[in-house]
Amino acid sequence: MAAAGSGGAAAGRAYSFKVVLLGEGCVGKTSLVLRYCENKFNDKHITTLQASFLTKKLNIGGKRVNLAIWDTAGQERFHALGPIYYRDSNGAILVYDITDEDSFQKVKNWVKELRKMLGNEICLCIVGNKIDLEKERHVSIQEAESYAESVGAKHYHTSAKQNKGIEELFLDLCKRMIETAQVDERAKGNGSSQPGATRRGVQIIDDEPQAQSGGGGCCSSG
Amino acid sequence: MAAAAGDGAVKPLQCAMKLANGAIELDTGNRPREAYTEYLRSIHYISQVLLEEVETTKEGGETVAPDTSKMLKLAEQCLERAQSTAAKLGKTYLKPAMPTAAPVPSPTSRHRRVYSDEGGKLSPFLPPEIFQKLQVVESQSSKKELTPLQEASLQNQKLKAAYEARMARLDPSQALQKTSLTLSLQRQVMENLVIAKAREETLRRKREERRLRLQEAADRRFCSQVALTPEEREQRALYAAILEYEQDHDWPKHWRAQLKKSPGDLSLVTSLVSHLLSVPDHPISQLLKKLQCAVYRALYPVVSRGAAGAASAPGCCSLSPDADGLRAPGSRRLRPSQSLYCVLSPAEPGPAPRPPDGPHGSPPTPPPHAGPPEGGAAGGPAGPASPLAHAPPGVQSRHSSFEDLEHFLATSEGWGRGRGRPPEPQASGVKTEPLSEQLKSAVKDIHNAIDRLLSLTLLAFEGLNAAASKDRCLACIEEPFFSPLWPLLLALYRSVHRLREAALSRSMELYRNAPPTAIGVPTKLLPRGLEATGAGAFPYCAAAQELGLLVLESCPQKKLECIVRVLRVICACAEGYCRAQEAASEARPQLGAAAIGADDLLPILSFVVLRSGLPQLVSECAALEEFIHEGYLIGEEGYCLTSLQSALSYVELLPRGALGK
Repeated sequence: MAAAGSGGAAAGRAYSFKVVLLGEGCVGKTSLVLRYCENKFNDKHITTLQASFLTKKLNIGGKRVNLAIWDTAGQERFHALGPIYYRDSNGAILVYDITDEDSFQKVKNWVKELRKMLGNEICLCIVGNKIDLEKERHVSIQEAESYAESVGAKHYHTSAKQNKGIEELFLDLCKRMIETAQVDERAKGNGSSQPGATRRGVQIIDDEPQAQSGGGGCCSSG
Repeated sequence: MAAAAGDGAVKPLQCAMKLANGAIELDTGNRPREAYTEYLRSIHYISQVLLEEVETTKEGGETVAPDTSKMLKLAEQCLERAQSTAAKLGKTYLKPAMPTAAPVPSPTSRHRRVYSDEGGKLSPFLPPEIFQKLQVVESQSSKKELTPLQEASLQNQKLKAAYEARMARLDPSQALQKTSLTLSLQRQVMENLVIAKAREETLRRKREERRLRLQEAADRRFCSQVALTPEEREQRALYAAILEYEQDHDWPKHWRAQLKKSPGDLSLVTSLVSHLLSVPDHPISQLLKKLQCAVYRALYPVVSRGAAGAASAPGCCSLSPDADGLRAPGSRRLRPSQSLYCVLSPAEPGPAPRPPDGPHGSPPTPPPHAGPPEGGAAGGPAGPASPLAHAPPGVQSRHSSFEDLEHFLATSEGWGRGRGRPPEPQASGVKTEPLSEQLKSAVKDIHNAIDRLLSLTLLAFEGLNAAASKDRCLACIEEPFFSPLWPLLLALYRSVHRLREAALSRSMELYRNAPPTAIGVPTKLLPRGLEATGAGAFPYCAAAQELGLLVLESCPQKKLECIVRVLRVICACAEGYCRAQEAASEARPQLGAAAIGADDLLPILSFVVLRSGLPQLVSECAALEEFIHEGYLIGEEGYCLTSLQSALSYVELLPRGALGK
């Protein structure tokens, strides 16, 4: 299980990444992930936990990636509970509604917290959703993009309704997470290889028996 | 499907669960008698309901209500617990203090009687030495060949039983006869042992020669190094023991051949490991028992002390409310079976096979007593020395558990005074801190124990070394490893999380009848005409029932699966309610509209937690979080556990924050 070896990107291995999804109630994060996970596959691939927890398998330049997408509750009263959701995350998608200035402020709060908890190891994506409502925009593109840059995050424009920008968002995020993981691996490969130290951070799992490869994902008990 | 089952025929199951939960509460509260009654009541109730169900549907065809299997499962678990409670009772009733007749002496009670004077009165748990013996007896009963000493021990048990029976028939005035009876028993017992020891000695010498030969083979396998850590040395010794075992037994070879034939077959892995662990004299299953006993020995004094502290601390949910009444030192009395305890101990096979440098020196040692590890657990904040890393021989005393208890109390008080703190244990900070330290070290020991078992298993069966087989193997080891330990482990977690549980149970009390909307569940995810539904049935109660089953399982993996089912049932219920509303309002069904995200899931789950009425979920989850596999951590299981923990924290803090912000 803790089969982290150096040179993990070798054939027969796959990256497993955890991505948390953050955003206020009405920004459309549920639609965003449903779009993403429905597009490639049909309805049946939605897990029985519906939009709360989704998995997706990707192949990026020959590297296999298993994504686990963790939705979080956006309501203010659940904010204190956030940290237990995003510990050990490799990436975070912070969604705001371009027509709602307040939702953008919330994103800023989350960024602060994530950086505080997870440092620079987590790949952040700030996502302005609902670009189909461009006319009602209340968050300026420039402000959002320069903010993202200032905190080391990437900014994306999406429309869950029109299915725009979503595929790119996830693909880009995955590439960045792979890069981070590789840097991490190299650092680990130089140092001592501690078998117990894999609980945190990237896990590279051997998923060669295809029938069982979803083990950690969606098919634990049918 | 669960949605449909959710609201209709749920009442009986719910009632049954309530009964069962009540019984468990009593059980953990050290009230075995009441608990026993309640378990039986639950079983009775379930069979009554199911019987009626069958009779009424007789004409209707072969439909089986969806809850039936759940009910049966619940009954099964109640029965299991009733059995163990009955065993406990069998012990308790021996004491003159309880003159009332046992309601139903279980068939095993006669057997357990043997240990009557060791009854851990303070906590509902058996003292470690008995735990160990029970395990040994269990494995003996399934074993064909006994060593001479084991045979002698069995013979002596029979002698002892006959002796007790005759003693009971004798009038108190026949004191002389009693003495002579006692003397003759002791003589016979001694003779048996002497003969057995001689036979054992011969056998041992022969075995020793062969062992040395095999040890060399093991050393070759490990390509000898100069410096060996104790772990490596032990690993080698165990491997040699496995080789030795395989000289006498063929089955491991057959399995190996099968593994080679179909390397990816995980069901083969499952059956191999469960077979391996069910063979009592295989070194790996003996290591399992030994490690379990070590963990048990480490946990037991901590839990007993924790229980004592809780009992005297006001306002805490005590683990054993009866503890106070059982502490009077004046109640010491003659225990007739004490002598048997002494007789039994030399025969104890012990955690064989011992590595040559094992902790026990000469064969007839008394069992390593669980007594307070003087310098460790009772000693101070340094934490107890890990009993697993080559356990020190332990305090080899023969004090009764009663004296242990006095010792526990004395040391814990002395500890408090020694640090210049008031002796009142109610200053919970004083208690909790070392307790959590001890929990930490116990957790570490458990992880180590599992690692050792796994690596030894992989060593013995190289075919298991692929990632998937390894995971499966680990899961198969964990189940038998945790099952007997979980209650005690949970008790420790519960005393560590006492305050959280108290807060949670306060919330549950306060908001027991709060409507789901008050917790933030949107009306579109509720059944229509909610107000109309009578008491008893409530929305998402299928999920609450599923959650109630969690406390009945005793293996972490099963518990995790249970949590996943809870969340799945919630999603299914939500979808059902939502579709029903769409249908009623003839709204155009939107794709994904019924798919709920965390924004909806968490409030619903909080509501379900509130209605479950199980504050111990806090401790269960804390323990699960510790022992969940890394591989599951980011998967569905991890997500579900995290969500449940969030919901628990939310409910716990409800009284502080205003509802429905």
